[in-house]
Amino acid sequence: MSDRPSLTGPTVVDMILERARAVPDAIAVAQWGEEITYAELVSRAALLASRLRALGVGPETRVGVCLERRPALVVAVLGVLLSGGCFVPLDPAGPRLRLLDMAADAGLDVVVCDPAGAEAVSEAMGDAAPRRLAVPDGTEQPDADPDGVPFACPARPDNLAYALYTSGSTGRPKGVLNTHRNLLGFVTGWVEISGAHAGTRALGITSLGFDPIVIDLFVPLVVGATIYLAGDADRADPARLRRFIAEHRTTWGFITPAVLSLLDPAALPEWRMVMCGGEAIPPALIDRWGTPGRTLLNTYGPTETTVAVVSGALTTPQPAPVPIGHPTPGHRCYVVDERLQPVEPGAEGELLIGGPGVSRGYLDRPGLTAASFIPDPFSGEPGARLYRTGDMVRYAEDGRLVYLGRRDGQVKVHGQRIELGEIAAVFEEHPRVTQAAVVAVPHPGGGVELVAFLTPEDAPDDVGHAASRLTAAMLPARVLRLTELPINASGKLDRARLRALAAADRPAGDAAEGTTTTERALAAIWRRLGVGADFFAGGGDSITAMRLVASVRDELGLDVTVDDVFTGRTLPEIAARFDKATRRTEPELTLGNPPTLAPPQRRLWFLDQLAPDSAPYNIALAQRLHGPLDRRALRAALRSVAERHDVLRWRIRQTAGVPYAVCEPPSDVDLPVVDLSGYAPAERDARLRTLLAAGAAAPLDLATATPWRAWLYALGPDEHVLALTLHHAVFDGWSRDTLYTDLAAAYAALVEDRATDLPPLRASYADYAVWRADRDLRDGAADLVWWTEHLRDAPTVLDLPRDRPRPAEQTYRGAEARLALPAETGAAVRALAADLGATPAGVLLAGLGRLLHRLTGSADNVIGAVVADRRVAAFDDLVGFFIDMVPLRLRSDDQADFATQVRLATRELMDVAAHPAAPLERVVEKLGIARDPSHAPLTQVMFNVLNLTEPRLDLPGLRGEEIEVDKPGSPFDLTVYVTERGDGFEVEFLYNPDLFDAARIDAMLADYANVVGALAANPAVPAGSVALPERLSPEAAPGAMRVTEAAAPLPPVGAGTAATEALIATIWREVLERDGFGPDDNFFDIGGNSLAIAAVHARLRTWLGRDLRMVDLFRHPNIRTLAAHLDAQADDTGGSTEAVNPEIARAASRAEARRNRNRRPRRASSTTGQENDHE
Amino acid sequence: MTDEQYVVVRNDEEQYSIWPAGRTLPAGWHDAGFGGAKQECLDHIETVWTDMRPLSLRQGG
Repeated sequence: MSDRPSLTGPTVVDMILERARAVPDAIAVAQWGEEITYAELVSRAALLASRLRALGVGPETRVGVCLERRPALVVAVLGVLLSGGCFVPLDPAGPRLRLLDMAADAGLDVVVCDPAGAEAVSEAMGDAAPRRLAVPDGTEQPDADPDGVPFACPARPDNLAYALYTSGSTGRPKGVLNTHRNLLGFVTGWVEISGAHAGTRALGITSLGFDPIVIDLFVPLVVGATIYLAGDADRADPARLRRFIAEHRTTWGFITPAVLSLLDPAALPEWRMVMCGGEAIPPALIDRWGTPGRTLLNTYGPTETTVAVVSGALTTPQPAPVPIGHPTPGHRCYVVDERLQPVEPGAEGELLIGGPGVSRGYLDRPGLTAASFIPDPFSGEPGARLYRTGDMVRYAEDGRLVYLGRRDGQVKVHGQRIELGEIAAVFEEHPRVTQAAVVAVPHPGGGVELVAFLTPEDAPDDVGHAASRLTAAMLPARVLRLTELPINASGKLDRARLRALAAADRPAGDAAEGTTTTERALAAIWRRLGVGADFFAGGGDSITAMRLVASVRDELGLDVTVDDVFTGRTLPEIAARFDKATRRTEPELTLGNPPTLAPPQRRLWFLDQLAPDSAPYNIALAQRLHGPLDRRALRAALRSVAERHDVLRWRIRQTAGVPYAVCEPPSDVDLPVVDLSGYAPAERDARLRTLLAAGAAAPLDLATATPWRAWLYALGPDEHVLALTLHHAVFDGWSRDTLYTDLAAAYAALVEDRATDLPPLRASYADYAVWRADRDLRDGAADLVWWTEHLRDAPTVLDLPRDRPRPAEQTYRGAEARLALPAETGAAVRALAADLGATPAGVLLAGLGRLLHRLTGSADNVIGAVVADRRVAAFDDLVGFFIDMVPLRLRSDDQADFATQVRLATRELMDVAAHPAAPLERVVEKLGIARDPSHAPLTQVMFNVLNLTEPRLDLPGLRGEEIEVDKPGSPFDLTVYVTERGDGFEVEFLYNPDLFDAARIDAMLADYANVVGALAANPAVPAGSVALPERLSPEAAPGAMRVTEAAAPLPPVGAGTAATEALIATIWREVLERDGFGPDDNFFDIGGNSLAIAAVHARLRTWLGRDLRMVDLFRHPNIRTLAAHLDAQADDTGGSTEAVNPEIARAASRAEARRNRNRRPRRASSTTGQENDHE
Repeated sequence: MTDEQYVVVRNDEEQYSIWPAGRTLPAGWHDAGFGGAKQECLDHIETVWTDMRPLSLRQGG
């Protein structure tokens, strides 16, 4: 086992600390973009632990944990354990009185909370609430020593690790106490059984209060794997859950049968280890999931024996009932009669369990503990105890155990073990209830439902008073009132009679037929699920709601959510909500997603990393506002726009080179006011232009600051200029109108002191990103094939004649020139477009193709264009980056007439827009285009037609007027903007002045106008035969068509040391997850792409402990030259000049050791996998 | 439910349980000196088993 982490340790916590030392940068917990590395998990947990210890927490102290399901939840759990304490899960959404009962029973003095948890705790307990402690965020400095591990877990193996509350027959939930020994024994055994390893992508969907949470959290953490923790909304809706699993590509996870049945195995091919338990697994589920290539592992075990003590892989066919499996290693199962004597082999009896999982007992319930945990007469182990499960089982002939039911009044509802007596006791607390009994009856929709019987006949018939004490699973579906409870012949409660009464009373018909189409269709599904008139009063629960939603999506094709069911409750109400739902387009649109980056945003983020000091992707807007301005209202209106469009509050951060989005809460907008009113008009305007340009060109730091800024320039008492600079990653051309509309609405509402009249948004940008990810997943492969075919053999560099050599690194400087097309040219363009049924854009694009042919001599050119991806109506009124940059292939043929070339160009524009699922990055990668830091990959010339109406900000009492702002930089060599102005067209060239002189650009503009004018007037003859005016732009300047030497020359090949090369090779292996490349292989040829470069960059920086330009990784795309560069750089920066630079040598040996420890079991193990972190 | 007689038993970790009266005690378990109906034994345990931590843990800390 030298290739696995050591599976021993005093506690699971020590094992996790060991993993954090070994793989600090590995991701421990992730949820959509939010990630916590092992180093961060441990350092935040350690800080929490030290604060808990300062409050007196230590071994045997119980500490509440009440948080929403975000990654910080894992920090809270580990922090409590690291303090030595015992964590007690509290559900912030759970019934308040139950929370109060549990906190009181557990004697909690401290609860670790997030804001939702803190609110729940104070709501439930008011002044008596325990102290609430927040989870440290990642920014607080740990009080730890530099090694990052402040102290080991002070708990001993027999100290408590956690207490989980289960249903108790007395009406009080009981806390099961599990020790570190229980936890360690289960976790180490389960690593083996489930095959968990460092590369496991573990799904976390179990609620914190349910014992399989141990599978979700601790098994992955002791092997250095990643937990993908599903949030509450993603757990509650089958479509979202499927997406969560698919998007996070989880390979391994526990789930209950009820939820598993809602998922489609074909949609989740990567989930290979499916652990299922909590209730009986129906054979049909095994048919779907127990197929070759996937392991469906049954898990059985009560909380009192930690987690699972019986398991086995299930393959089809299976007998019914499905056997639950064999005892797990170390556990002993005995089947006994009522006198605790073993039954005959194959006979039915109660299951007793012994072994390392047997827990300490029930918190403060000595009698109950003594009754349930009994002396072990079978094993001969002195003083050992057995847990009486209350489950009836028998051994099948093949030696597997078969579950037959409960011995006592317990039932299982959706995997939760429920004492019917506890529910009855809660009802009996009501002053108007004399007696209560609860029975479980089979539910037509599957599983069981609970029915409560109350006496006397005028007992209250609603469940409201019980709802605050009972979990959703415990809440009876129906309440029936009787004069007295039926008694059987032996004088006991006649449960059979109650069950018959419950079945007879079933209100299945209440669902009614419905009047509208939706109602009738819904009623059919409703009846099938066996739900009554009111969804929740009539037997519906959250799982049934998930089933209902899944059926409606599939059968009615409506994009509905579980929320519709929860808020609608009755069939007509829910049907009305469903009627408002958008018809589901493929892929379906889901709402309420957490911040999620869309692929184009990742690309812009990457470009930002590549050129951190320039800002070519800033979008600058300015409006001159004539009239009296209420500055306070304007500032507040800006805030309200950012409240409405959360993408304006995003930050794009990174972990190990992987970008992710987080959303900051709304805050006041900084609107500096610059007073220019004292200047004479000429100077005032000059200053304004300079200030606007400076504001447009200042880089926006996506990681740490708002992705946009605003300024107000006061030109006079009633004249202002509002200037906004927004990063393209959160904005596009379309967004401008939306922004102005929403800003004006908010301003008007504020000055008129009323609410805004804007309709609520129908989606968020994150919903787009998720929708898009679905779409790209579905169509990406096919679209990629289209693109590679389309661009086969196309030239990948378009070098226009220029005046100066291309700088070795693209500079992104920008300058502009513009020209109005002559009126007759404009008229000819329109006339030709009308003749051909094309757009003017198609004519102008074909003309550009002819111009490029003329300037470069090449008839085949690739340029870039933009395609708006607002394909769903719900995205229409959103601010955000919905733009894809796509390559256009322009072929110019002297023999073909211009009309034909216009048709082809128009077709090209439609074709590229029809294949949006393969982002540019993937196309570039697939085409194997060499990366060159001197220019953008594949496209160096952009074509962009703007036919937007003149944007105006219409504030009440003011008149707005758009002002042009100098562009902050040029993302490409040349961007051709064509704008329709009235009847005519204006062409603007945005270019990089490091390549082109202004005179050449002016001449090219004139050449373009001439080519378009001549060809649009002669569309029916071979284009090559049309007489063109003389070409005005000159040939390239002598020597200009080369790339300049870099400022720092490339070091001689072979100058890098072996240690440096080894370090780079190790990092490449980690990032690319492959072996078998040599020092001269190009990173981009062996599977690398820009985002992988970002990951290499982040890791190199971490290992070397110094800054490093990302662009250098492009300049040195193989190990040999990069090593030479790094060594030379280390020398320059005062590093050692010895043959082996010690900084790199240390980093390399740490990296190599880490790699060996992380190596997956199937790989050959290495003899160098020892600990050498602390040399 | 039944009138069966039990004895209160204790192991070396001072964990309590009950055992049918008259039946051989499993290894490592000792008669704690109390017998009666099941509920009587459990009620007795409620009064005597006041610190539910195992003995080795109590002694260690």
